[in-house]
This record gives sequence, structure tokens and C-alpha cells, in this order.
Amino acid sequence: MATLRKYEALMLTVPEITGDEAKNIETTLDKTIKAGSGSVLSFERWGKYKLAYDINKNEYGVFFLTRFEAPEKSTLINELKTLFKVKFNNVVMRDMISVLDPKNPLTYQRPRSLEEAPAREAETFAKEKVSSYFSANDKDEIGDEE
Amino acid sequence: MTKKIKLKISARLVKKRSRRGNGGRPKSCRFCSDKKQMLDIDYKNSTFLKGFLTERGKILPSRISGICARHQRSVSGEIRKSRVMALLPYSGPSF
Repeated sequence: MATLRKYEALMLTVPEITGDEAKNIETTLDKTIKAGSGSVLSFERWGKYKLAYDINKNEYGVFFLTRFEAPEKSTLINELKTLFKVKFNNVVMRDMISVLDPKNPLTYQRPRSLEEAPAREAETFAKEKVSSYFSANDKDEIGDEE
Repeated sequence: MTKKIKLKISARLVKKRSRRGNGGRPKSCRFCSDKKQMLDIDYKNSTFLKGFLTERGKILPSRISGICARHQRSVSGEIRKSRVMALLPYSGPSF
């Protein structure tokens, strides 16, 4: 029996992805990996992110990370690549499949998504802006009088 | 005459003098001394890798970041990976 190797695939999808489309990706991935005699370990949604640069005129994107086991020297990885490029062409913008080091633990760190970041209310933000603007003006006026 | 000669300091000499500011300490790579930090070098961990970029998004040279050549290679490799996934910029923040 061929030895199994652990892989992970990071997908960057369009920001307006629906729950159904995400579910569709998950099920098709599960099917293809099982057909290639592998198994899915995890599938998680990171959330919405502001991208470092625009991709297909999109400022934001949603990341998905999946980890799976696949036998060595199988065509499964190539199948997955074509799946992302052809079937999910208009949903998945970028994808990256990499081999996991068996020595390292499975935990990882990721940047904070926009959904997790503490949101400031628009009114308080506006108030701060306005107050700082007025205080700066006052100082100028005093300086002129003197 | 002597004053004129003193004013002429080549860029190489300035560099040499600035090196003395280190106090003669040998450089130590942070990843070699602490193996646990090696796990942070990952293309998904863009908040960590941001520390190895300049303001304009260039990769810091090992001369400044103080990493050994071996770990500099792995850091710059992961930065290039995460650039593909748009987690890090190719060039500076857009104005």
C-alpha cells in the first residue's frame, strides 16, 4: 500500500461567495479526494480579508483552507489543480497546494480577518475626526491673536 | 591640506565605522538560537512575515534583518509564496 502524505490547499475566492457555493466546493473536493483513495482532514473558512492588491478588480476576498491525505505519486494533486482552474474558474481566484511536513504540528497561525477585527462605530469615528479638526483650528487662531 | 584630506571619507569607510557600533558582537540568527520560532516561517502567517518587509514591500536583506543565509532563504521563499495569495504586497501600499 502506498504511503499517505499530508497536503493542504489554500483557496482565495471571490468576496460575494454564497454559502451554497462554498458547500459545493467542499463536497466536490471530498468526492475527488475520496476517488483518489485519500481522505479530507479538515475544511475551514478563514473569513473575509482585504487583499494586498486587487485581483480581477476585487479588493476583498474570502479564504478557505483544506487539509487532506493523499497517496504518494498519485495524479490527485493535478486533478485538484485542474478542478480549481476549470470548474471553479469564476469562484476561486487563487489556489495553492503544498505538502505538509510530517514532523511539524498541524497548528498554524493566520492573519486576522475583517470579520474578527473590532469594528468602530461610524459616529464615534466621525466625532474624533471633527473634534481633532476643531482643536487644531483653535490653536491656530490663538497663535494669530498673540 | 591636512584638513582637506580628512574631509574625504569614502562610503566604504563610513560603512566600516558604522559596523563598529555593533560593539564587536558577532551576529546571531534568531531562528538558529530558537528553533520554535522556525514554525512561524509560514506563508499563511503574513502578520509575522510583514516584519521582514520594508515600507514599500521589498524583502529586507539579511544584513539588516540579521538572519543567517539559510533562514533568509526560507523566509524570502515564504514571502514570495504569500505574495501569490495576495496576503502580502508585491510593491508598497497603494496610495
